[in-house]
Amino acid sequence: MSALQSTRIAAIEAIDSLMEQNPRIVLVFADSVKVFRATELVKKYPHRCFDVGIAEQNAVTVAAGMASSGLIPFVATYAGFLTMRACEQIRTFVAYPKLPVIFLGANGGIAGGEREGVTHQFIEDLGIARILPSLSVVSPADAYETHQAVLRAVEQQGPVYIRIGSGRDPVFFEQPYPFEWGKAHVILEQNPEDAVIFATGGFMLHRCKQAVKLLNKEGFRISLLNIHTLKPLDTATVGRFLQRAKAAVTVEDHTVIGGLGSAIAEAASELYPVPLVRLGLQDTFAESGEPESLLDAYGMSVTNINESVKKVVSLKNQLGR
Amino acid sequence: MRSIRIDQETIISLEEKARQIRKDVVTMIHQSSDGHPSPALSIADMIAALYFHVLNIDPQNPEKPDRDRLILSKGHACTALCAALARRGFFPLSALPTFRSLHSILQGHPYQKKTPGLDATTGSLGHGISIGLGMVLAARVLGLDYFTYVIIGDGEQEEGLIWEAAMAAAKYKAGRLIVLADCNGLQSGGKIQEVGGIEPIQPKWEAFGWHTQSIDGHNLKEILSAILKAQQVEEKPSIILARTIKGKGVPFMENNNDWHKKVPTKEELELALAALGGNR
Repeated sequence: MSALQSTRIAAIEAIDSLMEQNPRIVLVFADSVKVFRATELVKKYPHRCFDVGIAEQNAVTVAAGMASSGLIPFVATYAGFLTMRACEQIRTFVAYPKLPVIFLGANGGIAGGEREGVTHQFIEDLGIARILPSLSVVSPADAYETHQAVLRAVEQQGPVYIRIGSGRDPVFFEQPYPFEWGKAHVILEQNPEDAVIFATGGFMLHRCKQAVKLLNKEGFRISLLNIHTLKPLDTATVGRFLQRAKAAVTVEDHTVIGGLGSAIAEAASELYPVPLVRLGLQDTFAESGEPESLLDAYGMSVTNINESVKKVVSLKNQLGR
Repeated sequence: MRSIRIDQETIISLEEKARQIRKDVVTMIHQSSDGHPSPALSIADMIAALYFHVLNIDPQNPEKPDRDRLILSKGHACTALCAALARRGFFPLSALPTFRSLHSILQGHPYQKKTPGLDATTGSLGHGISIGLGMVLAARVLGLDYFTYVIIGDGEQEEGLIWEAAMAAAKYKAGRLIVLADCNGLQSGGKIQEVGGIEPIQPKWEAFGWHTQSIDGHNLKEILSAILKAQQVEEKPSIILARTIKGKGVPFMENNNDWHKKVPTKEELELALAALGGNR
């Protein structure tokens, strides 16, 4: 078990540093100041932090008005209340006019919602965000990557959705690395490999690393890529690995419909079709539980990853590729 | 503090502008073969007052940061807004017949990225006050003193977001937010009171902490006086409940909800223009 570091606090610390440099950056909450551990930031910038109460549609639309008048607002609240309750507001009033509003969605995934249960486990946010034209979608692996993503998001001059966790988020990057917006990040490369794993989120990346270790012992050569930016997807890197590995597995704490698995499947079918298994929630809701045991129970265990890799390698061999 | 001149000469001139906007509305919808005539006709007087007398705007510099903002929350009435922007010089009159056509600067509902002088994207009902509140709060952050005006319909007050915005605007003491409600009593599906049941509406706004006024929305003197009064309210957002007639100015469209969305034929257009004073 790795150390924990809050992605929520990491996001707020990054915003704090941005607010110091840029007077146009503001924050809009929907009774989510405590959720984001932002009480101190609100005290520091009382005139640039706004809380509209439990009213996500209003939070997003107020931010649209602010961005139309020259500000760069962050809207920080729960992932599902943003992408589902305020979906139309994000689409029509932010994404359509391409306004620079950055959304921070907490409780991404079943590991993000964990013991709160289905109402607070958001397994659809990436898919919903991904289908909205002009909205960039980022799913950072951990606190470090969240900090980097927030800093880069304001440079995009357009709308961005960033998935955040529960606050009890595993550290994946022990050391800083040069985060590149819109680029697939190669964690492990075994050239040439028997299969490539595309994963997003810290819980998933840890499990993938463990699976790769076990697979290596059994003689499989595996590459592992961290897809932190789902949109725009780095199709050049994804395509290169698909072409070389000729077999792929995707791993995400999200429904397999619409998220990373779909993104890779879409890219593969257009670039280089290969046997592909998508791990994640298989068109089902989960339940309350501890994050690690939830992920095991709902098809995202190390064993699931292991078996899926073997399955795609076997399919590849059957195809004679 | 702004001053608004309210004299007979101003009123007569604005009445003429409103008449011109109404003629443009029916002509645009006839020429483009699509659009909502009667909801646009009911706001023509308020649009004329704002664009030709109240708003601090500059057609030569449509993005100037300290300009007053106007959000047409009932975006389906945008032919009146487009006509006012063109007549005010933000873009050529020749754009008006292209309304709702491919590659036009005038989209089916207002889109801020394509139309010069347009402050907000609208069309999905219930959003204007929230956008307006965002603009008011932005002015505070940026140290600007512009006013933000929002025109809403009466039917769209059935949307929950209107009341989320109403609460937040009162909390933030958004004195520079002035909403004009076009209370024509009809919505797409029929009479407001039969479809949604929003009345009594004025006590609701008062209970939400707003400064309220009730006026005749076709009387330019009352419109200007109410705006002037609203501008002087500093600690509360203001709403002006303007009683109007849907289809105002074109007798066969008035209070006939068939004209919520309908294209006038050539003969109907001629009748409408004659009723609006022809080419004078």
